[in-house]
Amino acid sequence: MKSLRRDLSSNPQAQNVTSKIFVRSTKSGKVQKIVRELYLRQDIPCSSKLCVACPSVAPADANGNITPFVLSEQPAGTKAFPRGHYLVPDTNALLNGMDLFEHTGAFYDVIILQTVLEELRNQSLPLYNRLLALIKTDEKRFYLFFNEFRLETHVRRGPDESINDRNDRAVRAVAKWYMGHLQSTAKKGKKERSIPAIVVITDDKENLRKSKDENITALSLTDYVSGLEDSDRLLDMINESREAREAKGARGELFYPEYYTMSKLQTGLRAGTLHQGVFNVSPYNYLEGSVNVPAFDKPLLILGRDNSNRAISGDVVVIEVLPKDQWKTPSTKLVDEEAVTKNDNPDAEDNEAVVTERERKALQEEVKKAHGKNSEGRPQPTAKVVGVMKRNWRQYVGHVDSGSAGSQTSSSRRQQNVFVLPMDKRVPKIRLRTRQAADLMGQRILVTIDAWDRDSRYPTGHFIRSLGELETKGAETEALLLEYDVQYKPFPKAVLDCLPAEGHDWRVPESKEHIGWKGRRDLRDLLICSIDPPGCQDIDDALHARPLPNGNFEVGVHIADVSHFVKPNNAMDLEASQRGTTVYLVDKRIDMLPHLLGTDLCSLKPYVERYAFSVLWEMTPNAEVVSADFTKSVIRSREAFSYEKAQKRIDDPKQTDELTESMRTLLRFSKILRQKRMDAGALNLASPEVRIEADNDEVGDPLADVKTKAMLETNSLVEEFMLHANITVASKIYSTFSQTAMLRRHATPPPQNFEELINQLTKKRDMRLDVSSSRALADSLDRCVDEKNPFFNTLVRILATRCMTSAEYFCAGAHAESEFRHYGLASPIYTHFTSPIRRYADLLVHRQLASAIGYEGEDGRAVVEGVMTRNRLEDICRNINYRHRNAQFAGRASIEYYVGQALKARGEKMAADGVDGGIEEEGYVMRVFENGVVVFVPRFGIEGVVRLEDFVLPKDAALRTVAERRELVVRRQSDFDSEEYTLRVSNKGESDQEHGVTVELFQKVNVNVSSVKEEGGRGAGKRRVRILILGRGA
Amino acid sequence: MSTQRQATSASQTPHISPAELAYLYTSLSLPDGPIRPDGRSATQFRPLTAETDLLPGTNGSARVGFADGTQAIVGVKAEVERTVVGAGQQQAATASASGDGEGNDGEEGAPAAGHGSWVQMSIEIPGFRDDDALPVFLAEMMREPLVESVSSSAAAGDGDGEMEGGLKGRLVINRRWHWRLYIDVLLLSQPLSYPLPLLSLTTHLALLATKLPKLKSKGEEDPFFDDDWNAAEYLYPRVSSTTSSKLGAAPSPAQHVRPPVTLLVIAVGDNVIFDPNREEIAVADTVLAISVTRDGGADGGLKLLSIRTIDPPSRLTQPGVPNSENVATLGAAASNAGSEEQQQQQAVLNPVTGEEEVPGVWRPRRGGVKRRTVAQMVKLVLEKGGVGDEVLEGLEAVEVG
Repeated sequence: MKSLRRDLSSNPQAQNVTSKIFVRSTKSGKVQKIVRELYLRQDIPCSSKLCVACPSVAPADANGNITPFVLSEQPAGTKAFPRGHYLVPDTNALLNGMDLFEHTGAFYDVIILQTVLEELRNQSLPLYNRLLALIKTDEKRFYLFFNEFRLETHVRRGPDESINDRNDRAVRAVAKWYMGHLQSTAKKGKKERSIPAIVVITDDKENLRKSKDENITALSLTDYVSGLEDSDRLLDMINESREAREAKGARGELFYPEYYTMSKLQTGLRAGTLHQGVFNVSPYNYLEGSVNVPAFDKPLLILGRDNSNRAISGDVVVIEVLPKDQWKTPSTKLVDEEAVTKNDNPDAEDNEAVVTERERKALQEEVKKAHGKNSEGRPQPTAKVVGVMKRNWRQYVGHVDSGSAGSQTSSSRRQQNVFVLPMDKRVPKIRLRTRQAADLMGQRILVTIDAWDRDSRYPTGHFIRSLGELETKGAETEALLLEYDVQYKPFPKAVLDCLPAEGHDWRVPESKEHIGWKGRRDLRDLLICSIDPPGCQDIDDALHARPLPNGNFEVGVHIADVSHFVKPNNAMDLEASQRGTTVYLVDKRIDMLPHLLGTDLCSLKPYVERYAFSVLWEMTPNAEVVSADFTKSVIRSREAFSYEKAQKRIDDPKQTDELTESMRTLLRFSKILRQKRMDAGALNLASPEVRIEADNDEVGDPLADVKTKAMLETNSLVEEFMLHANITVASKIYSTFSQTAMLRRHATPPPQNFEELINQLTKKRDMRLDVSSSRALADSLDRCVDEKNPFFNTLVRILATRCMTSAEYFCAGAHAESEFRHYGLASPIYTHFTSPIRRYADLLVHRQLASAIGYEGEDGRAVVEGVMTRNRLEDICRNINYRHRNAQFAGRASIEYYVGQALKARGEKMAADGVDGGIEEEGYVMRVFENGVVVFVPRFGIEGVVRLEDFVLPKDAALRTVAERRELVVRRQSDFDSEEYTLRVSNKGESDQEHGVTVELFQKVNVNVSSVKEEGGRGAGKRRVRILILGRGA
Repeated sequence: MSTQRQATSASQTPHISPAELAYLYTSLSLPDGPIRPDGRSATQFRPLTAETDLLPGTNGSARVGFADGTQAIVGVKAEVERTVVGAGQQQAATASASGDGEGNDGEEGAPAAGHGSWVQMSIEIPGFRDDDALPVFLAEMMREPLVESVSSSAAAGDGDGEMEGGLKGRLVINRRWHWRLYIDVLLLSQPLSYPLPLLSLTTHLALLATKLPKLKSKGEEDPFFDDDWNAAEYLYPRVSSTTSSKLGAAPSPAQHVRPPVTLLVIAVGDNVIFDPNREEIAVADTVLAISVTRDGGADGGLKLLSIRTIDPPSRLTQPGVPNSENVATLGAAASNAGSEEQQQQQAVLNPVTGEEEVPGVWRPRRGGVKRRTVAQMVKLVLEKGGVGDEVLEGLEAVEVG
């Protein structure tokens, strides 16, 4: 009987067939044996430009072209390899040194094996993606070699060989093959001089040894980097964790409990005994985290390092609820990592406990508090982290804690441990081993976290690069952008290639026969104008209104027709969908679309013809909509107003021209629309915004640029019509795309979010907040007025806004129609249509609307351009929601930074005159803690923490410097009443009746705001805005 | 009618004449040992060829071919499944009831007991529908000893009963999860003789070659497996020849446990004949299917699992006509017909003894077997170095992997 089994070993005919067998566990719990047959080939090129053989055999595409070869003819050499070399890293080398491979100073001509790439994907998806990006770029000359498919380099796994050993062998096989191949095929004449060396980079000792036996050049990553120029800097970029682990060996006091095994986690999650959620850290107390899980209404508290068990803010963690006797109230104390762990030494690990004595004390007090009272502060369920499903570690911006770097350092190149304090307070400090501690002092640096082992109190990480000196504009701006993940690199060439060839000379075609006019209505004779903030360049929207013969009015909103210029799925579209939104910083704008489009071709500039997408309504004089119409159009804006100018023109009775009249009509309508919206229950929310008018003249007071946003009628004019247009468009696209319409919703916040605020208002002001509906909330917010304190209402609105969820984009199929509601706007359906230049969502909505009205476009493809699969759309929604949020954060942080700088500049100016810095302002108490309060200063739109020592008592009014005030800490005592939200601060031993200060929630206080630099001790060199409480406000 | 006969009896009745049947019967029932048509001894098997792991996509597979050209392929696939808790006891009686469907994961519930329905066997025989009696009967006949084997030791409450137990015990992962085995048996040729031994041997071999992914999770956790197929473990642990010879370590009892084999044995007269071919079955007085297995006993002895009788085809053969009744040859002998008829009547009533038959005249067999003969069969199978050992060792020797 002839065997039916395919015998792979003995049959020479079957040499090119092999198979790969593995076990796959699917999400549904199925376990499958997967067998893949591999057909090996011999035409996979080596991709070296030296090779004369491969170009003739490499597979060609339909046009007969082969993919251009990647590896350079004359690769860079080092001291060890003067004739140049190609690198062949194994998986561990990439895991440990991805930052190095991305570095532009070295690591060119790298051969990435398919084996390695696949292994990397299994180990770390983010690194895999970074490597793919590297392979795609041309500059670095990374070549992905499909070694598993090439006959000569395919390696069959031996009977008792582990997968790792087999993969290591594959790496060596490739190195060997490359050496032989290049020897035999390199161009004649070159042979003797410059066959580049093939250098395997591996950190596996066994692999190094075997390579040596097989005459293959192999180096560990560290050894290789040591041979390069600038090795100190490069060495710092190697992932720390592995090395450190080896160095430490078995010596290990373990500080943290072990995570559960993956299968145990899965079992628990399915059974409902464990819960999964995103770990968030309180901005006021770094020891207190919370996790929102679907199973509970309120987030679960995670207190202390022990329980948070190495989770870092943003990680997806699995938690276990603690027994009821360990439940606690949320902290009423400000706990700042910098203050508590000031004296930690990054080198000494022997005596470190996971919870230091100080930390324990801080926690103990909390527990006491929690047990002491029962009425209001009911203990909340607490939980501990038992596993991490997904680390969301990113690159963190921070600076080296000068206190942590020893004194012996300055010039020595010895490696030492330092702490890096991340800008994000919710991230613990990161231990870094570096040879350049002295150089990094006082720099903004970018670091990444490599690992957090059970035997280390703090995560370990490595240095990536320096952004520049602390407090320099460039460094701080870049830091902001990095921290909020804003893509700020210039647009790549591929994107710029998508722009119209005419550039700035592009014009709306004159002849109406031109294809560009197809399907467009000529609205050039309408009196259209735009109203925007002063100095606005990217004008998205313009308006008009005119009376109709039947006594009604025609009102039009015209939006820049960006979708005409940005075609789906080209490089520009993909880039824009990545960026998601334009980010506005105080002195910088990071565009979503290239400059040419945003500020010229799309922008609805006055006096020139532009393509637009128009929404036209017929309205009765009472602003009742009779009909709505959507059309692509060509318009010519008559004027671009700023809010102020428009307001002036409307208010000026002498102006009676048609344009002004139409603006007056618009204003009248907008008021009616607004009233209707308010009647429906729209919320008038407030956020603490100031705007910076950055016309820095050197002479004036720098703080004069900081202005609270003035609300003019014209602001609301534009806003109302934009809202109206958005709502109209939303219904239209939803009626056409019931599953894939791009919409925006604002979920109704759960009532328990407001509990705290309701409680506070009842206690302090005897006011009620009705949160049963948005209407009820709007009305009750209106009633929260304090005659003596006009700002009080705004303060309550700010606090109420923080209790709500944030609005989000979604795809219509993702929610039931009843969930489409926009809570804040009290609209049953909503989308974004009116700012396509700066928001990607609007661009998508434009495409959908065009498709919905049957607009064909120049190439007749516009109808299908609006169509998208739901999956893709949901991906986009996820991304733009994230970008949108980050853009807001970045903008705020930028303002905050600017305010700090302005204060600093003022302080310096004043100091020059011999007067101590600081400016006196009004502030409002937003939160009261046991050892401090949070004060909001409306003038600058900032809120800050005021600690005990920063309460100015009559006796120490003269003390102003940071150092002087710090000494006051020990003498201060406080009396905190958590039910009345009051805090009484006094000095020990003094009768507090006379000398103490009492502050309470919502109170108006006089504060002194200044910018101070920390000096000495930990955190030195860091600038912060300091707020001193001077006393009760008038 | 004829199809039904095929389906219920051991095989098609071969088209041989009553005279040939009688001749065959006589030579097989010789008191000094049978003379078989192919010259084999009574316990000798036909030569066979076997190989394993020929289907890469299965967890285990085997192919066995007999010299007469019949061959079978068996593939075993395994799937993880959630255990329906509490149903174990109830469904034990109705083993055929399928146990899928989501159950509540209650805390109490049968511990590692296993359930017969976790093994599904389907047999495909050319020319038969899958719901014909023959494939269904064969499948059940092979499945039953497979899942139930050595249930006695488990019932006796041995601590390691789980490991020693039948296949179903091995399929338990933990209280909430188990493996489900699908055994697909495919007869590649026409069933020239009764296919049971072939299918049983092939199934045995396939199970020997079956590997399950290595479990990484522990205890009552949801199962989680190693993705390296090379790390997968044999369902029936193998005695690793290299390690045992090197270290000289005695293999643990668990490594002796083997899936059962079902042997076809016939009795002709007083003779017991193994691995009968089609013609031999056609004249057999009795056809028995004997299932044996090797359990984890210290001596590595065999255990009898079941004995089933199979409807012998010999009862359906056409009888021969003795000369005394043949009108053509014996018209004159009608006078003393009464006494002869009496004799023949007896012979028919008591076929096993056979002495009263007219020699050389075939009478269809009526079934029935002497206790002594059954005991003889069992002894031959179970004794040390007996047929059972021989078969199992032969199969063990087939290279796996």
